Amino acid sequence: MRNAFAVVVFAALAASGQAQPPAQGAEAQQQPLSSAAERVYELAKPRILQVRTLLQAAGRQTTLGSGFLVSADGLAITNYHVVSQYALDPRTYRLEYLAPDGAKGPLQLLAFDVPHDLAVVKVDKAGLPFFDFDPRALGARLPKGERIYAMGNPLDLGFTIVEGTYNGLVDKSYDERIHFSGAINPGMSGGPVAGNDGRVVGVNVAKRLDGEQVGFLVPARYAALLIERARKGPPLAVDKAKEEVGRQLDGWQAAFYEALIKEGFRSAAFGPYRGLESAAPWMTCWASTNADQLPRPRAALNSTHCSSATGIFVSDRILTGRVDVSYAYYKAIDLNAFQFAKELSQRSAGPSIDMRGGKRLTEQECRDDFIGGDARPALRATWCMRAYREFEGLYNVTLLALTQDRDREALLAQLTMQGVSHANAVALGRRFLEAIQWQPAALPGTGS
Amino acid sequence: MMWIEVLSRHGEVVARQRVDSPEARIGRAFDNDVVVNDPHVAPHHLRISRAVDGELVAEDLGTVNGLYAEHGARRVTRLTLAREPGIRIGRTILRVHDATHPVAEEKPLTPPGAHAIWGAGLGGLLILLLIVVQWLNMTQEPSPNLLLLPIVGFVIVLAVWTSFWAVLSRIFFGQARFALQLRIAVTACLVFLAWDQVAEVSSFAFAQRDILEYAGLGAWAVLAGVCYAHLRTIGPRHMQAVMSLVVVLITAAALMQFFAKSETRRLFGQRANLGDLRPPQLRLVPLATADDFFKKAEGARRRVDQARVKEPTPGGLLSDFDLAD
Repeated sequence: MRNAFAVVVFAALAASGQAQPPAQGAEAQQQPLSSAAERVYELAKPRILQVRTLLQAAGRQTTLGSGFLVSADGLAITNYHVVSQYALDPRTYRLEYLAPDGAKGPLQLLAFDVPHDLAVVKVDKAGLPFFDFDPRALGARLPKGERIYAMGNPLDLGFTIVEGTYNGLVDKSYDERIHFSGAINPGMSGGPVAGNDGRVVGVNVAKRLDGEQVGFLVPARYAALLIERARKGPPLAVDKAKEEVGRQLDGWQAAFYEALIKEGFRSAAFGPYRGLESAAPWMTCWASTNADQLPRPRAALNSTHCSSATGIFVSDRILTGRVDVSYAYYKAIDLNAFQFAKELSQRSAGPSIDMRGGKRLTEQECRDDFIGGDARPALRATWCMRAYREFEGLYNVTLLALTQDRDREALLAQLTMQGVSHANAVALGRRFLEAIQWQPAALPGTGS
Repeated sequence: MMWIEVLSRHGEVVARQRVDSPEARIGRAFDNDVVVNDPHVAPHHLRISRAVDGELVAEDLGTVNGLYAEHGARRVTRLTLAREPGIRIGRTILRVHDATHPVAEEKPLTPPGAHAIWGAGLGGLLILLLIVVQWLNMTQEPSPNLLLLPIVGFVIVLAVWTSFWAVLSRIFFGQARFALQLRIAVTACLVFLAWDQVAEVSSFAFAQRDILEYAGLGAWAVLAGVCYAHLRTIGPRHMQAVMSLVVVLITAAALMQFFAKSETRRLFGQRANLGDLRPPQLRLVPLATADDFFKKAEGARRRVDQARVKEPTPGGLLSDFDLAD
């Protein structure tokens, strides 16, 4: 189960999020760099930036990230999460860049892509050298194992180049992410990752905390698309950026749930019951049991937990976009019906991912009922939802269902959707409830 | 013939004097029929005689502090005692009764030990029920410790509560009447236990978790009831005033608990759950269709949509623990 809750951290450096001890792998990074890396950095040096979010009133930095120039008129790419504070609250924060040669200046936010975690900013100078995108990366034709170089300003220690390997797209991810085997550290967010020829392959974005040198990049083609959008589309009104974030989240969830339904579902067996399992390749499932527990458990538990592992950074308070489906089949060993029901009440609490967001979400509202249908086990169901205060029409929804046809045996099913529209939540919820069935061979009365 | 009673400030009769003459004189001097030991009473304060119609009448004999009806605020010189037999002179209360004054019927005597037997019987039943409830809620490996320790704690609390009322009763009523106080306390516990179980089961059976929200009010009502029953055995002079104070205190406690609960829920209760479950056989509502259920869920959506545009409420007393944001 440990891996089921993998922690991905976004690689911006914020005031609260530094103090990470240097990894052991730091030794390896201090070996003399290959001449290729030297050449790439020499080429990149006038083209990379540190992107700083400053507190308007104090004039001091609150978040640091990196960025890189992509056009002669001063457009640069960084991560959305590097500039999110400014985008959501432009009156409290402002943006500034710092170039490796010490030049400083204001940055203008032109466009952002929340689901892919990208933003386009503009420096106050023109005619600077800039990066090209690698055409092979735009068409996703890069060979696995190719040497690539991540650049940025990790932990505000100075501009750095890190050698690593391109490892293709992450297998189980709905949003495309490049798996980069190299060290990505806080502060490098939004920095470019270039190949041998100095052309950009991807953008630094995040790393896994439970692995070594497991980094993630946004594929370059999303950056190219966003630049195009920033050029063609209407200019972004910064004080309306929050509405734009809401629109993008809504658009993302619409596409995500459509894809989820298109990928299809299959029925899976849990004891004498059946439930719904997504066939989407980016849903990761883990199973667990308490069979090996000591002292011997008083109710046997076999559970499956599937998660989309999608995480969209909206602000440092809001991480959204995840779907979790879990089934737990309980069978009393030496609990009576009352004790068994008590055990289930204690186990029926939804996942703690509900808790995130604090006051950015409303308080929870729940509705309970007993549901029944033809040739289906009766269910005790609870629907709980919270609304995002800042984004109209988006909710966190948890649907719990417990079979009620036997008193010492039950299937506890749980569906959690983050940042979902009400219509999509109801559509998937309905499907989820309808899928809870008896195994053909285990009709009621024939079971134990 | 008449009887004159002298009452203490707590309303107890301290002296009772039979007067056979048609007229009685009351005062501090020793030539009176009834001698009152109160510095605020004149040596010759009061004369009690019969009017023409035979009613008893009190007359002020020209004193500094005067004559009042027992609960009266207005000084009078003459007082007819037919309806209100009470008189206040100085700081002393007197009651004058005719020989024909009606007295209450004989009260049947509680058989000796009855309260003790009832108290012990109900107490035994209560402990048995507590053990059963504990057992039905036990999901861990059962052990005598787990089962009995809470009961021992409960018995200690009950003993302290009963002793508290017995001491009050000893002070104000004169007798401790421990067995009676125990019987009252145990009965209240049984009522509370029944109420609690009914609330929990019906919250499941009707799929209405709001029932549990308001079940706490019942618990406070039981507390008010038990305080009333205890107070009645003591019979304080200002029963109404004391009981109002108790009700005010209990209402305040109930309100405080309500706010603390809603704050706690705001901070910690945001994980979805199925509520308090019971065996499926206890369901009392018909099965709904999925359509009904999602229609009901629509209500939750309306509520959160309304809450969305309101400012989030401050954390209040518990805001120090508010780590969620």
